[in-house]
Amino acid sequence: MMLRLLLLLSMLACAPAMVIGDDLIFSDGDLQYFERKIRPILVEHCYACHSSQAEVLHGGLQFDDHRWRTEGSDSGLTVIAGQPAASLLVESIEYTGDLQMPPKSKLPEAEIRELTEWVRRGAPFPQTHATANPRAEVDYEEGRKFWSFQPARLQPLPKVARAHWPQTRGDYFVLAGIERAGLQPAAPADRATLIRRLSHNLTGLPPSPEDVRSFVQDGSAVAYERLLDRWLASPQYGEKWGRMWLDLARYTDQTESWLLQEGQSHFYRDWVVEAFNKDLPYDTFIQQQLAGDLLPDARPADLAALGFVGLSPTYWKELKLPCEVIKVIVADEWEERVDAVSSTFLGLTVACARCHDHKFDPISSADYYALAGVFASSRQIGRPLIAEELYEPVREAKAELAQLEPKLPKLNAEVTRLKKELEQVVAPENSEAEGDEKTDKIKPAEALRAELMQAEVKLAEVNERIATLKATPLFDTPLTNALSEESLYVERAGEKPQDGTRLVYRPGPQNLPLFSRGDPNRPGEIVPRGFLTVLSSTPRLFTQGSGRLELAQAITNEAASLAARVLVNRVWLAHFGQGIVGTPSNFGTQGSPPTHPQLLDDLTARFMVNGWSIKWLQREILLSATWQQAVEPSPAARASDPGNRWLSHMNRRRHDFEAWRDTMLSASGALDLAIGGVAVNLDEVGNRRRTLYCLVHRRELSTTYQIHDFPDPNQHSPQRFTTTTPLQGLYALNGPLLAEQSQLLVERLQREYPHDDATRIDRAHWLLYSRAATDDERQLGLSYLSDSQGQARLDRWKQYAHALLASNETLFLD
Amino acid sequence: MHDQRVGSRYVPIDGNGMSVHVLNRRQLLQQFGGGMGWLGAAALLAAGGDLTKAAETTPAPHFRPRAKRVIHLFMNGGPFGPDLFDPKPALAKFEGQKPAGADLLTERPTGGLLASPFKFRRHGESGLPISELLPCLSRHADDLCVLNAIHADNPNHGPALLQMNNGTITPTRPSMGAWMLYGLGTENQDLPGYIVLCPGRPVRFSILWNSAFLPSAYQGTYINHSTIAPERMVPHLRNAQWDPSTQRQQLDLLQQMNANHKTTRPGDSVLDARIASMETAYRMQFEGSEAFDISRESTATREVYGSGHFANGCLLARRLVERGVRFVQVYYGDGQPWDTHSGHNQSVTKLCSDIDQPIAALLADLKQRGLLEDTLVVWGGEFGRTPTSENGNGRDHNHHGFTMWMAGGGVRGGMTYGETDEFGFKAEVNKMHVHDLHATILHLLGLDHQRLTFRHAGRDFRLTDVHGHVAHEILA
Repeated sequence: MMLRLLLLLSMLACAPAMVIGDDLIFSDGDLQYFERKIRPILVEHCYACHSSQAEVLHGGLQFDDHRWRTEGSDSGLTVIAGQPAASLLVESIEYTGDLQMPPKSKLPEAEIRELTEWVRRGAPFPQTHATANPRAEVDYEEGRKFWSFQPARLQPLPKVARAHWPQTRGDYFVLAGIERAGLQPAAPADRATLIRRLSHNLTGLPPSPEDVRSFVQDGSAVAYERLLDRWLASPQYGEKWGRMWLDLARYTDQTESWLLQEGQSHFYRDWVVEAFNKDLPYDTFIQQQLAGDLLPDARPADLAALGFVGLSPTYWKELKLPCEVIKVIVADEWEERVDAVSSTFLGLTVACARCHDHKFDPISSADYYALAGVFASSRQIGRPLIAEELYEPVREAKAELAQLEPKLPKLNAEVTRLKKELEQVVAPENSEAEGDEKTDKIKPAEALRAELMQAEVKLAEVNERIATLKATPLFDTPLTNALSEESLYVERAGEKPQDGTRLVYRPGPQNLPLFSRGDPNRPGEIVPRGFLTVLSSTPRLFTQGSGRLELAQAITNEAASLAARVLVNRVWLAHFGQGIVGTPSNFGTQGSPPTHPQLLDDLTARFMVNGWSIKWLQREILLSATWQQAVEPSPAARASDPGNRWLSHMNRRRHDFEAWRDTMLSASGALDLAIGGVAVNLDEVGNRRRTLYCLVHRRELSTTYQIHDFPDPNQHSPQRFTTTTPLQGLYALNGPLLAEQSQLLVERLQREYPHDDATRIDRAHWLLYSRAATDDERQLGLSYLSDSQGQARLDRWKQYAHALLASNETLFLD
Repeated sequence: MHDQRVGSRYVPIDGNGMSVHVLNRRQLLQQFGGGMGWLGAAALLAAGGDLTKAAETTPAPHFRPRAKRVIHLFMNGGPFGPDLFDPKPALAKFEGQKPAGADLLTERPTGGLLASPFKFRRHGESGLPISELLPCLSRHADDLCVLNAIHADNPNHGPALLQMNNGTITPTRPSMGAWMLYGLGTENQDLPGYIVLCPGRPVRFSILWNSAFLPSAYQGTYINHSTIAPERMVPHLRNAQWDPSTQRQQLDLLQQMNANHKTTRPGDSVLDARIASMETAYRMQFEGSEAFDISRESTATREVYGSGHFANGCLLARRLVERGVRFVQVYYGDGQPWDTHSGHNQSVTKLCSDIDQPIAALLADLKQRGLLEDTLVVWGGEFGRTPTSENGNGRDHNHHGFTMWMAGGGVRGGMTYGETDEFGFKAEVNKMHVHDLHATILHLLGLDHQRLTFRHAGRDFRLTDVHGHVAHEILA
């Protein structure tokens, strides 16, 4: 680059043009020549990608703006005036270098000659300033004014007409919206509906019929709060809410077989469940997941929290390939980390800025590389949940094993070969061969025996050493998917690209260069690790190790209001089926603005004051009149607010697959409430664990998950989509799960009520719908059973139970 | 919905959340995902979420489509163009040598040039050169549009398979078929709109047909057709417990329960959608059984296609597209059978004898049924192979330049497009990157690859990322 610049400067003196200030002024003749001979070639072959008309400007080269001559493209200067041989333009149109233009096929020879001549003549070009695609700088001052970057503050309560309605502060804001829209809030849900809703919302399971009965009879407000607190304190609460977090964290139990996975994922999953159960303050929750190993009071058990980054998807790196190819794959991995962390914790799409400054948000490419450097300085590695010193001998043993074990096949082969050779040599000894020949063979046989013995001794030694190493205390200590403070370098393995690639981890952090157009093979200026400029009042550089701890602290301090808002919105969304902000992982300018900005601010401010307690937040939501409304919209709401933007009623929601399966297992009495541990295969017959504990395989997601809208564990998933498809229908009609569960449900009903069909029908309704059967429903069931006898009756019962499991009332929550 | 005024312009959708567009689309999916077939969400949104309008504007594409459906015959492992469609006499001339241009980097080190022993003849009115390995397919020379200068970014199977299917070498994007369904929907509500057939498992497996951030209803349905009994192919297609009439009674019972549930919950289209989808599922047991049952074909037809997994796959593909399935991929086989690192010539002879008759039969069959004109058939691997030798008699992966072909569906037959260098190593003239191939396939389906976007993580994503040019020269 520098060389080219010098060349350019030296050429300017003799180029057929005048220099006035920074600008080149060409003669009219030169410019006419350009317009007549050259411009048409550029228009025909280059402007589709390299002009202000280009849909996407390629390579940073804008061939209709005079600045291309001095600024060049992402690949450097395009032309050294007067020097075709030194000009990238000529090299690329001649197809002699890496860059070949136009990409589709080489230009006709005549045009190549023409462009070369033009460069030789000094590449005359008019002073034209194209207006489209301006290269603007990010305006942080202006950017900081955006609503989501403001501190969250308590808001004055709005005036409402129905002053008796609000139960919480939040209700005032919702009611004000409802009233402004000319609507009125729905009636409270009836108590049976409410308790079913509450139980599912907090535990992911239906309430027991006994709980429903006593709650419906009790009728007091205290009863509701008592149940709320009981379920918030139940271990099933963490299982339900942990799953919400695992979607964001792209949790997987197993990754592709050819990718290294040293740790056992469930440690992270169980840590998340436990964190929810013990109501770990959300700021601590963030800090532990990003820097659990670096916090001042870190304990080995906290390493499990690092799974958020430690379990990030990795991509296959074929080390036989040149390092230029591998660098791109590694850069893609860093992008994934930046995306997952910024989307999850900040609701910002920072990864958009890998190739260019963010098009919409005040995030520059430099901001992106400042963050990416943190992940480039952190290694995904298996670590034990015990003190690292205790484990150090095991690490050493494993390192030695990694050297020794590959030697075994060769040693074994050597012994086998020598034995075979010896046999062949010895065999003729017993034959009728002549004495001379015999003596000839004796010597080698002896030599072979000695060699064999040596080889056997060596093999035995290695085997013994391996056994000793494997007997190292704590050798089988399971590992969790954690991080260490090491940087990954992608280097050429030998001298030539053909020699392939070497991946090297070195202790200590690294700063990344700004990759031009996101391409690691076009490194620019080094960017020091640091936090997003728009969220820091003064530049916040990271100087301690990788910077993970400082990143976590920046998120929970400088960006506290944003981080808390994003979480409050996620919890709100999970309770209502709609967020206050409709784009839960995009709080930038392209996200949707909040429907209730004051509500979000007020709730967020109080969430922070209340110790970032998620359980506090949920109590606040669940005690609200808003959440306790019935689902039916008023005719006015149906007409004027069909999307329920103003929350004038509750939303009816369909269970996700986990809740549906857990409900069935719960109703049949089969559900195993054991907590945590290694995942079980989802479709395995006899698997009674909660669905949370069923295996998520990043590469081979179970078909059952796939057809039921389970999120892709390869990437951050902001929220689930719900689809209704015939394949789901086939699963419900014919899949083994419902066949098994209907059988178990019938067995349970028979066990509990051996003689009375009507009572069994009623009981089934209690178990699945949390209410008694109506007379019509009882009649429908009885008539389906009709007067069948024996096995036929049993079959009718199974069909009936199966229909209940697949019915809309089981699947939907009012 | 929050706001119905979306306008009639095409609107990108935010996959991130419940913006107005998403609410529209989610409700639409919920309503139409089940009962009425997956109309393209993009089209419905183009109609402002207004269903009557959407019905009027169906079909959904951006402009007049030349193809309504696609069959992609996937030679997984990667075939070598100069054996089949791209004769290179220079290989024999410089056999064993490594002249300049024959030293490109691929996955593994290779030696000198290795001649292809297979003879070429010109076929059809077009005089298209086709190798003796494909005698039956040669009769369709005038239908083939041979693309000799395809190129990709990576010489590894995994990344190359991903690029060919999903447009990127990393596993984070939706597959081409998912984009097609997103753009166009399917024509048969009783069958999945995107079906992937493989007698076994291609390398990288389900990520190749995933929907990534697009709704999961758009992902491919993987069918292992190594056994051809329909109930072994489609998950949960048959009920193991009850006969159809008992099952009908059970379904009537279920729908009665659902109807009772609905009486106190009027006007909820989501509940209606699920009721309808249960009916669809019930019908699919029979429709699906029929669609996937090649034993219903006449003996004559079976004989024309020949025997073997790939022949069965081709026949299945025809039965499926005939019933309105939008996109059918037929992988040649388990693993990566075309990956001939050693004993290349022997392997390729066998591989070609497996595919020759079935593909010729498929083209003839489609033509005879009047389907070829709006069914695009695409043939090729994830990359090609080196003209240089590996292990003396094998060939390494080659992403620098390779051959694919298309037929039917609005492409010009009897032509070749693009040229590799004199050894068939690198694409040189009229090069088509995989992005260009994707852009062209979408174009043939009436979709503008630059407008078929989905907003996710703050960006408008496309199959072709920021690349892709339609090869207008090959359009009929």
